[in-house]
Amino acid sequence: MRTAVLIAAMLASTGAAACPDLAVEQAWIREAPPGAMSVAYAKLINRGKKTLVLDGARSADFGGAGLHRTVVDDQGNARMREGTLAIAPGASAMLEPGGWHLMLFDPARPLKAGDIVTLALTCGAGAPEFPFPVKASE
Amino acid sequence: MPSKPARNLALVTAAVAAAGLGAFAAYRLQAPRDLPQPASGTRLSAPRALPAFTLVDQDGKDFTNTGLQGHWTLLFSGFTHCPDICPTTLALMKQLRQHPALGGRPLEYLFLSVDPERDTPAVLKTYMDYFGGHIRGVSGSRAQLDAVCAGLGLVYMKNPGANATDYTVDHSAALVLLDDRGRVAGYFQPPHKLDTLAADLAGIVSGT
Repeated sequence: MRTAVLIAAMLASTGAAACPDLAVEQAWIREAPPGAMSVAYAKLINRGKKTLVLDGARSADFGGAGLHRTVVDDQGNARMREGTLAIAPGASAMLEPGGWHLMLFDPARPLKAGDIVTLALTCGAGAPEFPFPVKASE
Repeated sequence: MPSKPARNLALVTAAVAAAGLGAFAAYRLQAPRDLPQPASGTRLSAPRALPAFTLVDQDGKDFTNTGLQGHWTLLFSGFTHCPDICPTTLALMKQLRQHPALGGRPLEYLFLSVDPERDTPAVLKTYMDYFGGHIRGVSGSRAQLDAVCAGLGLVYMKNPGANATDYTVDHSAALVLLDDRGRVAGYFQPPHKLDTLAADLAGIVSGT
């Protein structure tokens, strides 16, 4: 038991295995005007047997990041709100224009289409890293 | 001479009938009757004039009602610290400008920032240049924005954040179409489909 707790503590401290079952597809970051904030989108897949809860991201290329959702109400008004995104076992969730997205602010360097940004997606104590190619707006 | 209750009933009935007639007349005036409706939006049967306004564009120049004359205008309101729906819509406007269905149409594009504290002309210029330099960025004082947005039928509201510069702005997501006299002619709500929207705009702007 003590060993199990120790292992769990070690895993939590490295942050490498707290959400090992998170897979990412269709990842991209929108190329932004110089100095402007940007946004990351992707399909997030939970390949594990426990619910994953995404709560944000971090990257050396940005001063900060946040998980937000754009909601357009019945009156056609767009609101952006922070939140966490739960993904059930075997399910997937989309970060996409007009919906859930990762806001990226304070870019540390100019990013152009074709660049690759490493984003650590934070889900509880874990933060697995994934490559996000920068693409021009479509 | 009818009794008092009967007289009251008659008065109430007349009032209700008058109100009904008024509502019907208002409906007939507002309801799109003669104009063909676009597939992806709503066209007003009677274009609505804007109040006189003075805003400032990305070059620091005054932008008034005169700037809306002689061509149609597709307007979007938002702010540059908006990572998702604003760049998505501005990218769509850039694509519309290049769309074959809209080639040669007298249609111009306008971005109305509802965040004048952060969206100075210089910030707007950098932002607009990135989207091809064909979208004009404008903003103004709170009083001017309030008046213009009321005329456009748009709303916005600042949401405070952790500090004075960390905030978001809720805003209308619609694209507003203004006619060649600077009057509100219609609305298009997201999510937008490029080809459908381009065809709708082409149909209206060409007058067919």
